[in-house]
Amino acid sequence: MSARRVHWLPNFALIAICAAMIFPVFATFVISFKRQADVARKPPLLFPCDTPAADFDLLACRFDSEGYERLLANRPDATALFGRAFIDRMLGTFLPNTLLYAMSASLLVTLLAGMAGFAFARFEFRGRRALQMGILLLTGMPLLTNLIALYQLTVSARRVVAPLLGDGIAAFDQALLIVIYTGLFLPFSIWIVKGFYDAIPRDLEEAAQIDGCTPVGALLRVTAPLAAPGLFSAFLLSFVGIWNEFVVNYLIVGASRPELRSAVVGLYSLTGTNLINYQVLAAACVLIMLPVLLLFFAFRSIFFRAMTEGAVK
Amino acid sequence: MRKLLPWLLLAPSLLVIGVVQLYPALWSVWLSFQKVAGVRTAPVGLRNYALVFGSRAFAESLWHTAFFLFGYVVLTLLLGLGIALLLNRKLKLGTAYASLLFVPWVLSDVIVGLVFKLFVDPDTGLFAPFFAQPLFGLQGSALLTHVPTETFIASVPFPPAPALIYLIVAAVWKALPFTTLLALAALQTVPREVTESAALDGAGGGRMFAYITLPLILPQVLAATFSLIIGGMNGVGMVFALTGGGPGTSTEVLSLLLYSIGFSALDLGRAAALSVFIAAVNLLLLAAALRASRARGER
Repeated sequence: MSARRVHWLPNFALIAICAAMIFPVFATFVISFKRQADVARKPPLLFPCDTPAADFDLLACRFDSEGYERLLANRPDATALFGRAFIDRMLGTFLPNTLLYAMSASLLVTLLAGMAGFAFARFEFRGRRALQMGILLLTGMPLLTNLIALYQLTVSARRVVAPLLGDGIAAFDQALLIVIYTGLFLPFSIWIVKGFYDAIPRDLEEAAQIDGCTPVGALLRVTAPLAAPGLFSAFLLSFVGIWNEFVVNYLIVGASRPELRSAVVGLYSLTGTNLINYQVLAAACVLIMLPVLLLFFAFRSIFFRAMTEGAVK
Repeated sequence: MRKLLPWLLLAPSLLVIGVVQLYPALWSVWLSFQKVAGVRTAPVGLRNYALVFGSRAFAESLWHTAFFLFGYVVLTLLLGLGIALLLNRKLKLGTAYASLLFVPWVLSDVIVGLVFKLFVDPDTGLFAPFFAQPLFGLQGSALLTHVPTETFIASVPFPPAPALIYLIVAAVWKALPFTTLLALAALQTVPREVTESAALDGAGGGRMFAYITLPLILPQVLAATFSLIIGGMNGVGMVFALTGGGPGTSTEVLSLLLYSIGFSALDLGRAAALSVFIAAVNLLLLAAALRASRARGER
């Protein structure tokens, strides 16, 4: 009896906690499939499944793709503020922008962190410890501190290159963003990747070098494949971080160049208008959340290992 | 070659980090002693610092930040430790629970803020009727717009606005997964023999935790505390999306004040001075966190 209770209590508690952790996401999914009439109900109800006879009747549920359709639909008429104009941007501009920034910066981060982490893990050189400590301290630098200077520097840089580049200034801004993201996510990633390298026995490389490999050859043929999970986890963490990132994009390009906004910044700039309905906003949230949620569920164990690796050291 | 190779491997990273992090950080320090107008600057000594530290907005946002951090850190740590203790019992469904628990971690701060904001929207929010109950004392106004009538006790903005407490709830929800993971990783370093022999000596659950487990994982808990404080001090996305600093300035935390001085008022010199202050606090905390984790390594 008591053994059973001991066994059930933690399960029960964890189910309740999981429900609380999942609820906001679940509710957003549900709301994104509601109709306008059910969103505006007073008092509000989570499931649009009530009938005059019953509070909840599964057969009577009025789920609808209205929210997504309104995201995708043509503007009802030329004067309407949203509709196609907004969603064209969400699907045609903001999400592709986000993918571009997250993909290219994460690939750069992975490549550079793969090299730097190897140097820290495998070589003794003067200033190694100091350099490692310096990079670690930089991870504690508040983002806004850097952004104030970066903002001022980009304003000055733009002034110099704008006359030279003409229309190419958009590409310049995008490249700027990608470099900034790379720099922001590098220190943490070097730290993670180094941890993974440290776990690979050095003998393997030495054996390869005795068999005639150069140090770089040993890195590429022996160590890199073994370090692949570490590199991939640095990639994943950077990708998710940049996908969700707000303030850098908002400050460096979002305010002045709407066509370069990321999805999160695009979503945020919508909320200020108060013209979009709840189910449409929820649908936009779902579109932005879905890719990272899928990534997370597909590579769960890698996420867990990378998070502990990066944080525990 | 052997001597040069590590530097060749490091060079690209050092270059990018130098340009994006080190140089801007130093530039900010320099900027904090300048008066900035457009791209022109003129040295003003410590005036920016005097203006920032002397302002009422700074004092208020310091209190908001302190209150936010206290609630955020204490709640996240307690809940995170509790959940980690539950997960550490190696239940059959452990991995399933862990995956569901971790969902908030991969979401954007802005989306979390927006979703929590929509939940309490006075017209359509799912939780709006719940918070409208007399128990919460909102007197008919919405959660995010209610301003307590008596806010200042000796110039301290207390009690805090309901919006600030709600901000804590959203931030705790978002930070719990990571803290739980850290706590779980720490718990798994506690050797089984130690807990087993303590159990044989008759230590029960509560005493076991207080006298055996907690002291053993204390360095990691401290490190997690510091990382929560640093993260909580610097995030702006959630505040932006959830309250935007309001109602009034009642949820204006330091990072948001920095943002509004720098990018709304466009006074980059003053913003740089404030950012140097925040960075100094962060670096002190980070140094303390490193000491805490080193203490663990030595044992």
